[in-house]
Amino acid sequence: MASLELKQLTKKFGDFTAVDSMDLQVADGEMIALLGGSGCGKTTTLRMIAGFTEPFSGSILVDGKDVAGIPAYKRNIGIFFQNYALFPHMTVFENIAFGLKIQKLPKAEIAERVSEMLELVKLYGMEKRYPRELSGGQQQRVALARALVTRPSILLLDEPLSNLDAKLRVEMQVEIKRIQKELNITTIIVTHDHEEAVSLADRVIVMNAGRILQVGTPKEVFDDPNSAFVADFMGFSTFIKGSVKLELPDRLIVECSGHDLSVKRSVRDDLREGDNCILAIRSENIAIVPEDNMENRFVSGSNEIYAQENIVKGRVESITYKGHSTRVEVSGCFEENVYPAPNDYTGPGAGGELRLYFPSDKLCIYKN
Amino acid sequence: MRDKRSNPFCMIVAVLIMLFLVAPLVVIVIASFTPTALITFPPKGFSLEWYGNIFSKSNNFVSGLLNSLKIGLGATVLDIFIGVTAALSICRYDFKGKNILLNYFTSPMYVPSVCFAFVLLQVYSQVGRVPGWARIFIGHFIIILPYIVRNTVSVLHVFNWTLEDAATSLGANPVQVFFKVTIPLAKPGILAGALLAFLYSFDEVALSSLLSTPRFVTLPIRIMNYMEMSFDPTLAAISTLLILCSLILMLLMEKFVGLDMFMR
Repeated sequence: MASLELKQLTKKFGDFTAVDSMDLQVADGEMIALLGGSGCGKTTTLRMIAGFTEPFSGSILVDGKDVAGIPAYKRNIGIFFQNYALFPHMTVFENIAFGLKIQKLPKAEIAERVSEMLELVKLYGMEKRYPRELSGGQQQRVALARALVTRPSILLLDEPLSNLDAKLRVEMQVEIKRIQKELNITTIIVTHDHEEAVSLADRVIVMNAGRILQVGTPKEVFDDPNSAFVADFMGFSTFIKGSVKLELPDRLIVECSGHDLSVKRSVRDDLREGDNCILAIRSENIAIVPEDNMENRFVSGSNEIYAQENIVKGRVESITYKGHSTRVEVSGCFEENVYPAPNDYTGPGAGGELRLYFPSDKLCIYKN
Repeated sequence: MRDKRSNPFCMIVAVLIMLFLVAPLVVIVIASFTPTALITFPPKGFSLEWYGNIFSKSNNFVSGLLNSLKIGLGATVLDIFIGVTAALSICRYDFKGKNILLNYFTSPMYVPSVCFAFVLLQVYSQVGRVPGWARIFIGHFIIILPYIVRNTVSVLHVFNWTLEDAATSLGANPVQVFFKVTIPLAKPGILAGALLAFLYSFDEVALSSLLSTPRFVTLPIRIMNYMEMSFDPTLAAISTLLILCSLILMLLMEKFVGLDMFMR
């Protein structure tokens, strides 16, 4: 159990800067996620913390002590690898016991601690099997048990859910959270999947090109990204260009392709009248206004909506049924197409017209 | 699903080819039990006389066998150290010219061994007083190296290097990682390569015949010399024994490594 601090951490490969002056503090027992696309520097950061690669400059502090110069095998950091990296020539028991055997612990203690771990990851009775005889989910549990059995000060998880099918993902997500809280171990998750990050971590760090773009709770990052780039990465699908027409104390009036949209002001906006901006909104937050409803009072999803503004007419281009929702491509509202995704779509087919409602508190606004 | 029925014509051809491959060996094995002084098939009676003849001192087969074993085992063991080290550095590190290096290490496979022998003869005559065992040992040491490098590389080529990181993160130092993870996982390739290398050395004729001295002769050379003098069933008997040994070796490897290692 330990706290972790990165100070101006930088890694260069030749001319390419993989991690650029990264500052980060992780509290004891906290679970954070480094989120970013491939090449954003998240894996390089992980490898530097683990000691597999040396930083170019900057430092890594564990419990306030600089770990520079301590070889990887002395750092006592547990790692869960994306491909699990189970030793194929060892049984489940031998895999988990590996770190303890290296420490030359007495046999009885090894057996006890391994069975403790097997219980924790719910794999009791599988000791004698080889990794190839296990399912993906079971292999993952072994990998987790192996990383935890040496009681590491910090646990690093590399894309922990990416190789699992949808049902197992949910199960393992709950398991990982439970185990992390039970052991209260400082944990860093590296992932490119925003759902994985927000579902597991206490705090999400969004990275791009070696730099941190946003740090926040999963809810903050998910609902209120601080830039259009982060919004795009967090799964916002609809982006609308416009310019600020009027500044009001609690909201801005933005003109987008001839339509005025009212947008709730956010804490960080520094937009003035006449500034160009980009609006972003999640698909599921765009509501479809029923045609026969003159007062614009309707129910969308679980919300009762009374829409007085921000209603724009458009034409359906295509409809894609996606199981739990339907993705509708709508043109003609603005220059850009917009993509509402209602749970059950009952509106017109392709070519038909419909009215869309953009709730002012769900629109995120960024300087362009 | 593919049609599993096979064409009867193809079956017949396949069986004939297999018979063609095995028949001479079967003839040799049966003929080795003949009591007559000439190889006859089918044998007229049964005798182990020729097997006894193998071990008679004057024929020097046993000393030839011992020489072959010494050369083969010695060169294989030494080549394991060099070949595995070479394969590891080629596979683990990314550097310019690693393919050239791999081809360099496997080049003895492509150079005719007669040429090698000729070059080595020149060298030996320049150096002078090279002992008989060393003349053959150096030659074999060079020509069997490719088998070990190749087979080890074929395993390491698909090796999951993350396993080394995993072991390191669990507290294993580089030496422990090497002996507890890397070597055990590369073992099938190393053993397969070692077996092929040893067998190649064991029945190598071209190079050995040019490099051997009358005082240090390997088994294949001894057999060749014997054949020039007389053509009695002793040769059939010794062939049978050698076939038996190869078979046992192959079965052992199949048990411990799996024959699919050789198919790569």
